[in-house]
Amino acid sequence: MLAIKELTAGYGQLRVLHGVSMHVGKGEAVAIVGANGAGKTTLVNAVCGLGPVTQGRVIKDDVDLTSDAAHRRGRHGIAVVLENRRLFGEMTVQENLRLAEEHGRAYRSANLQFTWQRICELFPLIAERRRTRIELLSGGQQQMVAIARALLLQPDLLILDEPSTGLAPKIVKEILHVLRGLRSEGMGILLIEQNVGVAVEITDRAYVMALGRIVHEAAGTEWQTFLNDERLAAAYLGKASAGI
Amino acid sequence: MNVGLLAQSLLAGITNGLTYALIGIGLAAIFKGSRVPNAMQGEFSVVGAIVVVLLLTGHGWPYWLAILCGGLSGAILGAFIEVAFIRYMIRNAAPEDSYLLLTIGIGLSISAAVLYFFGRESHLLPGFGSDNLYIILDAVVREHVIWLIAISILLTIGLRQFYRTTSVGLKMMAASIDPVGAASIGIDVTLMRTFTFMLGGALGAAAGILITPIIPVDYMIGLQLTLKGFAAAILGGLTNPLGAAIGGLVLGIIEAMAIVGVSSSYKDVITFSLLILIMIAMPQGLLGRAGRTGG
Ligand SMILES: Nc1ncnc2c1ncn2[C@@H]1O[C@H](COP(=O)(O)OP(=O)(O)OP(=O)(O)O)[C@@H](O)[C@H]1O
Ligand SMILES: [Mg+2]
Repeated sequence: MLAIKELTAGYGQLRVLHGVSMHVGKGEAVAIVGANGAGKTTLVNAVCGLGPVTQGRVIKDDVDLTSDAAHRRGRHGIAVVLENRRLFGEMTVQENLRLAEEHGRAYRSANLQFTWQRICELFPLIAERRRTRIELLSGGQQQMVAIARALLLQPDLLILDEPSTGLAPKIVKEILHVLRGLRSEGMGILLIEQNVGVAVEITDRAYVMALGRIVHEAAGTEWQTFLNDERLAAAYLGKASAGI
Repeated sequence: MNVGLLAQSLLAGITNGLTYALIGIGLAAIFKGSRVPNAMQGEFSVVGAIVVVLLLTGHGWPYWLAILCGGLSGAILGAFIEVAFIRYMIRNAAPEDSYLLLTIGIGLSISAAVLYFFGRESHLLPGFGSDNLYIILDAVVREHVIWLIAISILLTIGLRQFYRTTSVGLKMMAASIDPVGAASIGIDVTLMRTFTFMLGGALGAAAGILITPIIPVDYMIGLQLTLKGFAAAILGGLTNPLGAAIGGLVLGIIEAMAIVGVSSSYKDVITFSLLILIMIAMPQGLLGRAGRTGG
């Protein structure tokens, strides 16, 4: 469904991605793990048209999106929960969601999967706090709004850039619960995570990224037991993140 | 001091203040939407007013139609500036100060063009409505002043409603708060910036058209209006268009009081000294928000 081919990207003189290739199949849940500065966010931004790309292709459902502007990519079923959420802080929850909802409707004219009602079922807090300004919500609540905002674009592939960072374990659990539910309904998921323990819970397969390259791919039991394999974990993630 | 004189100058202060407010609102809207400090905002007023003068007296168009075209000319000029210059500068990551230089340059060019094509004469527009005079609290008021006050207030309220309730308004606001977040949910950030310039241009033109029955328009007045608009916008908190409305009113009233209390030759000195004091006490402006970045 999503294929990234030989992607090279950087900022000015700095080269960050050195020919990254990977794919996410239809309804598949895939993780990208890697240490700080490995280039995970640069990769996400490249896929979404939000950051630089010097070479390579981003292909979704056989359509080449590489040269499409960011705001045109949602049409192809991609939605992203960005690092730091990137909500509109001085606007209310409802206003934040309304904009995404309008575009989602435009992308999928018939039978919307994520209606306002469905979103409120997934995140009851949204119905309660819909008139609250985003900046007054806690980090966990904001993360839920960010996921809701992405879902309202009616995607079939949800990309999440470190959604668990800085959140209390209880909130992370709630978010994982929602993601697991989405996955079981066939939503494709590309999860960027430093916390392998979290990533393993909802993904079937993972790419390990280091210094702008995919250095390892793990699937099945190798991925499920990734943390136990000290050699892998330490080599690719460094002691700190492997220890979580 | 008698009540009549006080009321008269208060009214003059409100009238000028609302004009500064409209210019300041346009400036703040553009600054919020693009981080461009638009040093040619007053030129939108000049162009708007001149277009109306031309269509009305030159071509004999009905006043309302000429006014509509005047407002439109501001919007078109705004769009042109964004599409022709700002867009490329942003794409090429031009340094922040270059926008100030650009808009100063455009302002001077427009001023020179007006001088070239229309000469040094100044032009007045007829007042809106009738030429009736009214007495309010011992002050004599032209009907146009009542129109000016009503229209300025309506435009300000309308702008607020536009930003808070319409889809385009919300998108423009979203794109200004977080362009990356906005693009990620399908908002065309570049287009929203063009719209912002159109809105700012139309507001600037509206200010010019509203004030020209009171203060004649000439090729030099743009810069003065820009300065007053900047003062209003900064006073209100540069990223809050509605703050600029309050800022403009405060500015106009201080100025009018300075004229009655001291003398008209010192009005700018007194006004700007007071402004500086207010800014020292409230660096974010009257309605400004602390700590906003990005956009
Ligand atoms: N806008 C930018 N301008 C210049 N350099 C950048 C920019 N964004 C990221 N970098 C650099 O690119 C490299 C990769 O950064 P990136 O954010 O993609 O890593 P990451 O894997 O997402 O890290 P983290 O886990 O901290 O989020 C880093 O060296 C970073 O300093
Ligand atoms: Mg990152």
